[in-house]
Amino acid sequence: MNQRITIDPITRLEGHGRIEIFLDDAGEVVSAYFQVPELRGFESFCVGRQAEEMPNITNRICGVCPEAHHIAAAKALDELFGTPCLPAAARIRELIYSAFFVTDHTTHFYCLGGPDFIVGPDAPKEERNILGVIRKVGLDAGKAVIACRARNHELIKKLGGRGVHLCGALPGGWSVAVTPEIADEARQIARQNIEFALFSLETFHRIVLGNAAYRDLVQGDLYAHQTYSMGTVDAHNAPNFYDGTIRVVDPAGYEFTRYRPQEYLDHIAEHVEPWTYVKFPYLKKIGWKGFVDGPESGVYQATPLARLNVADRMATPRAQAEFERFFDAFGCRGTGPGGRNSPVHHRLATHWARLIELLYAAERMQELADHPDLCDPNVRQAVSCRAGVGIGSVEAPRGTLTHHFTCDEHGILTSVNLVVGTTNNNAPIGMSIAKAAKGLIHKGVVSDGILNRVEMAFRLYDPCCSCATHAIGTAPLEVTVRRSDDGTILDRISRG
Amino acid sequence: MMVVIGLGSPFLADDSVGPRVVRELAGAGYPGVRFVEAHAGGLLLLEELSGTRGAIIIDALLDENLPPGEVVVSGIQRASHNAACSHDCDLPEALDIGRAMGMPLPDASDISLVAVVARDVTTFSEALTPEVEAAVQRACAAVRSILARKNAGSPAEAP
Repeated sequence: MNQRITIDPITRLEGHGRIEIFLDDAGEVVSAYFQVPELRGFESFCVGRQAEEMPNITNRICGVCPEAHHIAAAKALDELFGTPCLPAAARIRELIYSAFFVTDHTTHFYCLGGPDFIVGPDAPKEERNILGVIRKVGLDAGKAVIACRARNHELIKKLGGRGVHLCGALPGGWSVAVTPEIADEARQIARQNIEFALFSLETFHRIVLGNAAYRDLVQGDLYAHQTYSMGTVDAHNAPNFYDGTIRVVDPAGYEFTRYRPQEYLDHIAEHVEPWTYVKFPYLKKIGWKGFVDGPESGVYQATPLARLNVADRMATPRAQAEFERFFDAFGCRGTGPGGRNSPVHHRLATHWARLIELLYAAERMQELADHPDLCDPNVRQAVSCRAGVGIGSVEAPRGTLTHHFTCDEHGILTSVNLVVGTTNNNAPIGMSIAKAAKGLIHKGVVSDGILNRVEMAFRLYDPCCSCATHAIGTAPLEVTVRRSDDGTILDRISRG
Repeated sequence: MMVVIGLGSPFLADDSVGPRVVRELAGAGYPGVRFVEAHAGGLLLLEELSGTRGAIIIDALLDENLPPGEVVVSGIQRASHNAACSHDCDLPEALDIGRAMGMPLPDASDISLVAVVARDVTTFSEALTPEVEAAVQRACAAVRSILARKNAGSPAEAP
């Protein structure tokens, strides 16, 4: 008699996600799957519209990362209309995007990922949240989190024309220039963000890395996978969230390939499984070999950890220092091919990588805010329609995001394809869930703490089901254990 | 200042009922009332609620025990489709956080939910299903009634 455990939907993640775990007669885990519900008709909704509407349509796909979709769509339009983005406009886009990264990574650490470590993976569910974090770290930390989100949202609103769903993008440009007053504000906010990022890293070091049990959890095998890593890098192989080439390194750290975002179809293919409509991207030249690790498997990850793995350095000084500390901690600094770092495969280290990216985003914001031409008024240019293809890509907080549009000579869309950050990670998410479940569930014993540790394997990717499926919403968690032959419910655990 | 928040995606069929109701009402020019369209709950709602004396949240509701188009008025204890952001927290938790931080927030009893039972929130469309379309004016009336009860003023020419 086989059993089926369903975690539906996953707590603290955007969108309805569901984990299903199948047990054999002995109560051992046979397999585990990650599923999300389907939303219908996105391409047909877009086809027939004017291409320049896309930044303002795609930023409504998701309540969490609208800025990523807005900017990726804008870059696709730059190419579609044959109008490279004006330098002043590109600086505004990247400034907004850096502010967005600060807020997004802050929210994940303090609200989603951090509670598992700061409050504890086995703490009662009602304490494993941001309020629990505030109780542990202090009220001032909570105020700093709220203030960080508020000041960056306010800046995004001023630069982007609207709060959450900004509307500033134009083909080849941006709607409005930066005033000297807003530039001053941006400089001040960037300084505050750097201080906040350093505080967050210090908190992580003290509470997580200073705790032997947590350190063992992060550096142990339960959450480790040896896959390829993907991320966008600049000409010096430092991560860049806004622009660059896409670099892929193999599990040993050798560069496997690098390509322009416009060439993504030459490098990425999508595998389909019969039990889900979610697609599983893989490296085309390696091929799909199943949900398995190793250099012979085309599975890759595109996450904050992957971005550090593909990088040779960080582009800003404080982030560089933390980058070196990170690889030192895992014994990977300079131990890879040609003296570069070996990739870190311990997936819980993604939380640390995310904080390093938070620091980089804050420092990059300061560089942009200090640019002497930030207030350059030359941010718009005339464009004309032409038939063609536009592909734009950015690094979203959850992975490489690609927008691919085709339009006719009137600028009317004829096809639309999006590969969103979370989709890149569908295969490794499933693999991480299965490995954690197999390592934690034995003889059919399932507790709230065990299930949370399985969810931690999922949560570290910060998946956004609303992006992956274009869905939104949430609901309480329900775990159901069923007999596989007739569906009889054997046990049910509800929380949330 | 009161705030009226329409929650939902304008492109996901009945999920757009919140923004739709807000657009219907915003043109009437209620003094002392701010109208907002929002897409995510949790901490983002907290930022919208800060500094207000009361709020009305209009949202799509998924409830298989109620017919599509039914308008439900309740307090925020009743979870709506979007009022929680699973990327951070739900609305009551967000309010607890805000109060702990000393933010100026309305009492929970001054936050109302006007929810419209949805039929379809998973198809990309700018159109509401017929049952929900028919409920829009009833939802608007429910919001007007709450605003009047809260002495939030009246539009220059009430529809």
